[in-house]
Amino acid sequence: MRRDLPPLLYDSQAPARARGRLCRAGAAPGAARGERSAAGSRRRPGPARHGALDYPHVQIPFEITLWILLASLAKIGFHLYHKLPSIVPESCLLILVGLLLGGIIFGAEEKSPPVMNSDVFFLYLLPPIVLDAGYFMPTRLFFENFGTIFWYAVVGTLWNAIGIGISLYGICQISAFGLTDITLLQNLLFGSLISAVDPVAVLAVFENIHVNEQLYILVFGESLLNDAITVVLYNLFKSFCQMRTIKVIDIFAGIANFFIVGIGGVLIGILLGFVAAFTTRFTHKIRVIEPLFVFLYSYLSYITAEMFHLSGIMAITSCAMTMNKYVEENVSQKSYTTIKYFMKMLSSVSETLIFIFMGVSTVGKNHEWNWAFVSFTLLFCLIWRALGVFVLTQIINVFRTIPLTFKDQFIIAYGGLRGAICFSLVFLLPPAVFPRKKLFITAVIVVIFFTVFIQGITIRPLVEFLDVKRSNKKQPAVSEEIYNRFFDHVKTGIEDVCGHWGHNFWRDKFKKFDNKYLRRLLIRENQPKSSIVSLYKKLEIKHAIEMAESGMISKVPSSVSLSDYHEGKIKPLSPTEMENMREILTKNLYQIRHRTMSYNRHSLAADASEKQAKEILIRRRHSLRESLRKTNSLSRERPAAANTKRFLSLPKNTKLPEKLRVRNKTSSRVGDSSDSDLDAATTVLNLRPRAGKILREQRLRQQRPLPEFRVEWKNEVDGSQDGRGEQQDPSTLPQPSIGFRQPLLTRPRFGTLSREDLTADHGSARPMPPPRLVRQASQGDRQRNKPENQPY
Amino acid sequence: KMFSDTAFVRDESQEDITTEHSVSHSQITRLYSRFTSLDKGENGTLSREDFQRIPELAINPLGDRIINAFFPEGEDQVNFRGFMRTLAHFRPIEDNEKSKDQNGPEPLNSRSNKLHFAFRLYDLDKDDKISRDELLQVLRMMVGVNISDEQLGSIADRTIQEADQDGDSAISFAEFVKVLEKVDVEQKMSIRFLH
Repeated sequence: MRRDLPPLLYDSQAPARARGRLCRAGAAPGAARGERSAAGSRRRPGPARHGALDYPHVQIPFEITLWILLASLAKIGFHLYHKLPSIVPESCLLILVGLLLGGIIFGAEEKSPPVMNSDVFFLYLLPPIVLDAGYFMPTRLFFENFGTIFWYAVVGTLWNAIGIGISLYGICQISAFGLTDITLLQNLLFGSLISAVDPVAVLAVFENIHVNEQLYILVFGESLLNDAITVVLYNLFKSFCQMRTIKVIDIFAGIANFFIVGIGGVLIGILLGFVAAFTTRFTHKIRVIEPLFVFLYSYLSYITAEMFHLSGIMAITSCAMTMNKYVEENVSQKSYTTIKYFMKMLSSVSETLIFIFMGVSTVGKNHEWNWAFVSFTLLFCLIWRALGVFVLTQIINVFRTIPLTFKDQFIIAYGGLRGAICFSLVFLLPPAVFPRKKLFITAVIVVIFFTVFIQGITIRPLVEFLDVKRSNKKQPAVSEEIYNRFFDHVKTGIEDVCGHWGHNFWRDKFKKFDNKYLRRLLIRENQPKSSIVSLYKKLEIKHAIEMAESGMISKVPSSVSLSDYHEGKIKPLSPTEMENMREILTKNLYQIRHRTMSYNRHSLAADASEKQAKEILIRRRHSLRESLRKTNSLSRERPAAANTKRFLSLPKNTKLPEKLRVRNKTSSRVGDSSDSDLDAATTVLNLRPRAGKILREQRLRQQRPLPEFRVEWKNEVDGSQDGRGEQQDPSTLPQPSIGFRQPLLTRPRFGTLSREDLTADHGSARPMPPPRLVRQASQGDRQRNKPENQPY
Repeated sequence: KMFSDTAFVRDESQEDITTEHSVSHSQITRLYSRFTSLDKGENGTLSREDFQRIPELAINPLGDRIINAFFPEGEDQVNFRGFMRTLAHFRPIEDNEKSKDQNGPEPLNSRSNKLHFAFRLYDLDKDDKISRDELLQVLRMMVGVNISDEQLGSIADRTIQEADQDGDSAISFAEFVKVLEKVDVEQKMSIRFLH
């Protein structure tokens, strides 16, 4: 008696008897065995007894859980040896695990292991992956490079598909290979499904190499759009295959269909994205389920699009990109983190499952081997990809302001790993129309294995080889790392100054429209955002409180480093000491801020850099205060040394802050601030001094438990080692209260402090209020603007 | 508005800038629009504050120094020429330039000038030496909170030791150049779109 097969997996053949035999293995810890104990069961008649195995009851969830558990355990094992992930892409390992598993199943049952169902893949496994990619896509960069991305994705895929299809057809015509029954259309279909490149797998390898961000976004964007186009092409050719005659009109209809599908999907996605954003505007009372909305709406966009036979992938991508902007500002910090993590988790699980299935499905009787077909497929894939990238780049470089170098092209071409999509698509081929389906499966699997294993493992060394022009690694000096990092920081800084490629007319238009209508509609007011921003606000308030109390906690900068200096007694270091130093440096030097967070399906890189950014901000804050103190206590006749301190954080004489912006948005999330959102940082960092400020402070103080603040602050202070070497005289304690009695005048708008303010106060030397006089002037300017929202 | 911008640029002896720094016209236009977008006061010059408004720069460990590099000694405003002048240091070195004759003044993006730029970021008091303190300052800015002062001090000592040749416990410009002779400065200090 055959049981009902679970929809998840369907067996090609599996007699119940065989399964029953294995069922005795029962609830053994090994997932494989658990898998095998699937269908068969011994149901004893009569009342259920404890200890009796009631497997069918829980079969489906049990199997699913075991599969996922197996996948995750495999991942743990993988990361145990820390060097391994950087050499071998994870997908390799997952396939290996799948192979192993498939081998076990096959060996035990002598039947082919279960194979993935198309519905499961397209409805459950694919959306999380695409959602993940779409959500973490840096939108601004994406749109700046949209032309190139579109070009590669659309034209490149078409090129590949048709090229491979036609050349394979040519090969098939050679009767020696025994392939003549494969028609042109079938070849084209095959070509289209095998051109689905999944280079994202490669990105994980590049985390530590400063690959220029153009490359990231190209590879990233291409893979997204690429998936959609492949699916569309696939469906197109499949329907052609099933039609008896094809007229020219059909081809045009096909092309038109292509556009409709794509654009329709995008529209649905955007629409639902807006609805999601609007919904989250009102969720502040039910924070706990905020993440749910994000996931539900994006999934809804996917299946709605699929329902209308539009491109679900495009829909979910555009939904994610739309939501990203607005939802982030509406949800709480914790919800935001939850969303990110959960998304990563889902996509990770999906990808893992897919690769394991791939491994499992490889083993078995699904294959038909034909030397010619398989090897030529592989060859053509490589050739056409390389050719395609090369030719396309030559053309698109004419239009680009930053041309793509040979190294870039090589990475794009060589990084054309095939992955889950082509694998699933090949299984979906209707056997009726494709009598040689098994041949296709074999070819696809070979290509995937080759690309994932060989290309995946060798790409990193190859790139490093290409990179290194003169490498003398004889005696790496301790200082080398310092200098390298120094240069990188400088370069990043100057790049930031230069900003992004000028101002795009459409982008500015969109921004205006966005600000005027969309944001008003979709975003809730008064939301402090990223933790850096809130940290900074806390610091500001803290500072204000301290100033107001004029009982400053001054941390004496440690001058240990200075006093330790023995003239000329630099002893030569032993190699181990040098090693130590290098290690310390490597661990502690700040990372360069990547403008685009390097996309990794398996982890969120944001945390480390946020921490780093916080440290830097805190330190600058400190130096600001210290310099503040310094400049107040310094007289003008100080030697040049004083200048150094000053202009490190304070300009000598600056004009008063001209206008203060109305703070309407804050997201100065690391790595995603746009240059026209400059407002964000400034307004956040500037709490305008006003008369009623002190009152507000008091109120705040009651609202927030201050001691907690202080402890926090102290920890930060202690931690941040305020010893900036430049402070030569340990700033003696509280100083001329002159500078500080004025409550809040020195609300340093990050780094600007009016010299006039200082000198005025200095000169007046009164405990109170000439500040007021000075402030009037600036107040005058500021009155013009709306009062700022209080940060809390 | 675009027209007036470009007109302005032309007034600003754009030809000079083009020839002086060998930057292409489109680059200048783009950088000019960036300049104006930073210039909130709309008076044709940038102040330190304008730079500090760039969020990414705020979390760059060397942000202050970089900003400072734009301003000539003692001044607090930089006009577009000065802006371009500083940026010109980061233009990539074209191969065909290397073989140009050395008769004219050395272009700003030569290796030596790039190194000089970097050197000036360290050397605040402009005595043409990087003293231990100056090195420590920069190190401290670049490093996290987990390094103690002693460790940092010894790293600084080591750095000076590796570079110092005349035994003055400071790094002069020549020593700086020597230490970096194996480093691909041309590539590290070049921004691709500035050519």
